[in-house]
Amino acid sequence: MLSTLQPPRSLSLLPLRRFRNSKTIVSAASSTTSVISPPQSQILTSRRSLLSGETTAVEIAKSYLSRIRLTEPQLKCFLHVSENVLKDAQVTDQRIAKGEELGPLAGVLIGVKDNICTQGMPSTAASRILEHYRPPFDATAVKKIKELGGIVVGKTNMDEFGMGSTTEASAFQVTANPWDLSRVPGGSSGGSAAAVAARQCMVSLGSDTGGSVRQPASFCGVVGLKPTYGRVSRFGLMAYASSLDVIGCFGSTVADAGMLLHAISGYDRFDSTSSKQDVPEFQSQFLSMDHFESKPLNGVKVGIIRETLEDGVDSGVRSATQEAASHLEALGCVLTEVSLPSFSLGLPAYYVIASSESSSNLSRYDGVRYGNQVVAEELNKLYECSRGEGFGGEVKMRILMGTYALSAGYYDAYYKRAQQVRTLIRKDFKAALEQNDILISPAAPSAAYKIGEKKDDPLAMYAGDIMTVNVNLAGLPAMVLPCGLVEGGPSGLPVGLQMIGAAFDEEKLLKVGHIFEQTLKGSSFVPPLLANVP
Amino acid sequence: MATRALLAVISASPNRCFISPSRIKIQSLTSSSSSHYYQRQSGKIHRIARSYSSDSDSSVLQPPDVSRLAQTARISLTPDEVEECETKIRRVIDWFGQLQQVDVNSVEPAIRAEMDGGHLREDAPETFENRDSIRASIPSFEDAYLKVPKILNKE
Repeated sequence: MLSTLQPPRSLSLLPLRRFRNSKTIVSAASSTTSVISPPQSQILTSRRSLLSGETTAVEIAKSYLSRIRLTEPQLKCFLHVSENVLKDAQVTDQRIAKGEELGPLAGVLIGVKDNICTQGMPSTAASRILEHYRPPFDATAVKKIKELGGIVVGKTNMDEFGMGSTTEASAFQVTANPWDLSRVPGGSSGGSAAAVAARQCMVSLGSDTGGSVRQPASFCGVVGLKPTYGRVSRFGLMAYASSLDVIGCFGSTVADAGMLLHAISGYDRFDSTSSKQDVPEFQSQFLSMDHFESKPLNGVKVGIIRETLEDGVDSGVRSATQEAASHLEALGCVLTEVSLPSFSLGLPAYYVIASSESSSNLSRYDGVRYGNQVVAEELNKLYECSRGEGFGGEVKMRILMGTYALSAGYYDAYYKRAQQVRTLIRKDFKAALEQNDILISPAAPSAAYKIGEKKDDPLAMYAGDIMTVNVNLAGLPAMVLPCGLVEGGPSGLPVGLQMIGAAFDEEKLLKVGHIFEQTLKGSSFVPPLLANVP
Repeated sequence: MATRALLAVISASPNRCFISPSRIKIQSLTSSSSSHYYQRQSGKIHRIARSYSSDSDSSVLQPPDVSRLAQTARISLTPDEVEECETKIRRVIDWFGQLQQVDVNSVEPAIRAEMDGGHLREDAPETFENRDSIRASIPSFEDAYLKVPKILNKE
C-alpha cells in the first residue's frame, strides 16, 4: 500500500523497505554530545515524513520555494523556476491519500541544468541563441524522473553550452557560491551545485564533459556524481562534446546522489551510445552507521594519484586530501601511491577533442529551426549574424579552435593525436584500477576563486580542470564529496575529494563514499548563508 | 596563481615516457611570451627555437587565421572581436602544440571510451506527435516550409 516503493523496473523492494524501519540510513542525531551528526538523505527523510503523514508534499514544496524566494536574489542559481511545482506536489499528495504506489522519487524536488531538455519549459543552455526556446520533448533522464514521481523545480544556470568552469560565461546571470557570495560556484553546472548547497532543491542534474559536475561539487561543498560514459542516456542533453558528455547528479549526501543516478540510468534506444549493462541496486550500499563494522572498508585498495599532489595544488587542498586519505586508512583501506605517466597530457588532449567536437555539434544552432534569428537578406549572412550575435565569446572561441583543429591538413596533428593520447590515458587508468579498487585525488587544485578572477585568461581557467578531464577521456565513473574546509569566505571554503572507479563500478564508489561521509568527523557542509534561512 | 604554476611545471617537467630527453619544451603562460624550445648540450641548456607547434620532422603548421576560420564556421566577428580572439586562440593552439612531442607511434586513436558496441535502432520512421511545439519554435515559416532568405554564390 503506502509502504511500497515501486520503480517501474520490477526490482526487489527489500533493500528500500528496510530503510523505513529502525535500520534507516538516516542516523538519529545524537542528543548527548556536540558532535555534528552525519548528513541525512533528504530523499529518505522527506519520504518518511510523507508516508507517516507528518507532512505533505505541498508543505515540503512550499518550504523549498520559500527558500528559493529568499536566497535567489543573492545566488541566482535558477534561470527559470517552474510554475507547476505546487500542482505537481498536489498530485503526489493525492496519490498518497488514495493509497497508490509511490515511485522512489515521489515528492522529490529536483533542479535541472538548462542544457537538458524539459518539455514546455525554457531550455537555453544559458545562451542567447536559444533564448525562449521551449523543447517539444523531455530528455530521457527528465522523463524517468517524472515517471518515478520527481518534481522538476526549475532550470539551473550554467556556463553557455557547458563551456566554462565558473558559470560566469552564462549569457544571462552570474551565480554566486553560497559559501561566499563574492566567489564562483564552479562550472559549468554551477547553478545545479549551488542550488543543492543552498537547499533550494533536494537534488539536481548537471552535465560533466571535463569536470562540470565534480568541480562545482567541490566548490559548493556537495556531492557530485559523474557516471560511466553510457550509463545514462544523453538523449535530450544538448551536445557539447559527444564522446565526453555525461549527465551527472548532485546531492547533499552520497545516498541522494546515488538514488538519483539509479533513477536515470539504463539503456535508451534513442541514444546509441547508452549501455546495456545492468544497473545494480545502488541503494543496497547505503546502510545506517549503526551497521558499520569497526573497519567497514577493510581491505579496500585505494590508489592516490601522485601527479595530483605535486606543485601547483594549494597547500590547503593538499592537506585536506591527505587527511581524507588518512580517514580512509582508519576505515580499513590500504593506501598506495600510483602514477599515471600520461596525466599531464590530458588537459591539452581534452581541449582539442572538446573544441573539435563542439565546433561540429554547435553547427546546428543556425537561427533557422529554433532559437534567435537575425534577419538578413542572404542565407549565409543569416547564419553568420544569428551565430555571431547569439553565441558568447568563449563559445565562439572554442568553435573557432575546433574548426582549426579539424581543418584539412591539421586533423592528424591535433584531433587524431589527441585521440591517440586518449588511448594512452585509458591504458594508464586501466592498469592502475587493476591494482586498486578506486583511485583518489583532489577535485580541483584550489577552492572557489573570486568572481572575475579568471575571466580574461583562458589558459588559467583551463588549468583548473586538470584533476577532472582525464576521467572523461577514459569514460570512467567518479564522485566528488566534501572532505574539508580551507581558509576563505566567512566560514571557510569547502574542498572535495575525488574518487574514481572502474567502468560501470558506481556501486563501489557509492559504498566507499557513503561510509566515508557518514564517519567523517568535524565538518558540517552547510553554507553559512542558511544559518538565517528557515 | 597556483593553477598557473601547476600547468607550467607540468609542461616543463620531462615526461618520463614520451619526451625525448634532449629536447625540453618550456611553456610560459604569461601573456607576453610564447613557447620556446631548449636543448641540452653538454650539460647546458640553450634556447634554440621559437615555434607555435612543430614536430622535429613535420612541416610547421600555419597559425590560425581567425577571419578565415570565422567564415568557415559561419560566425560573424567584429574587428575588435577578431583581434581579441586571435591573441587568445594563438596562445591556446600554441599550448596544444605540446601534444606533438608525444610518441604516438602505433597507438590506436580512441574515438570514445570503451563501450558495449553501438546499439542501432531500426531505420523505420516514427511519427512525432507534438509537431505544434516544433512549429512554435521555428522563427519563420510558411505553409509546410521553413522560410529562409536566398543564397548568393560567392566569388
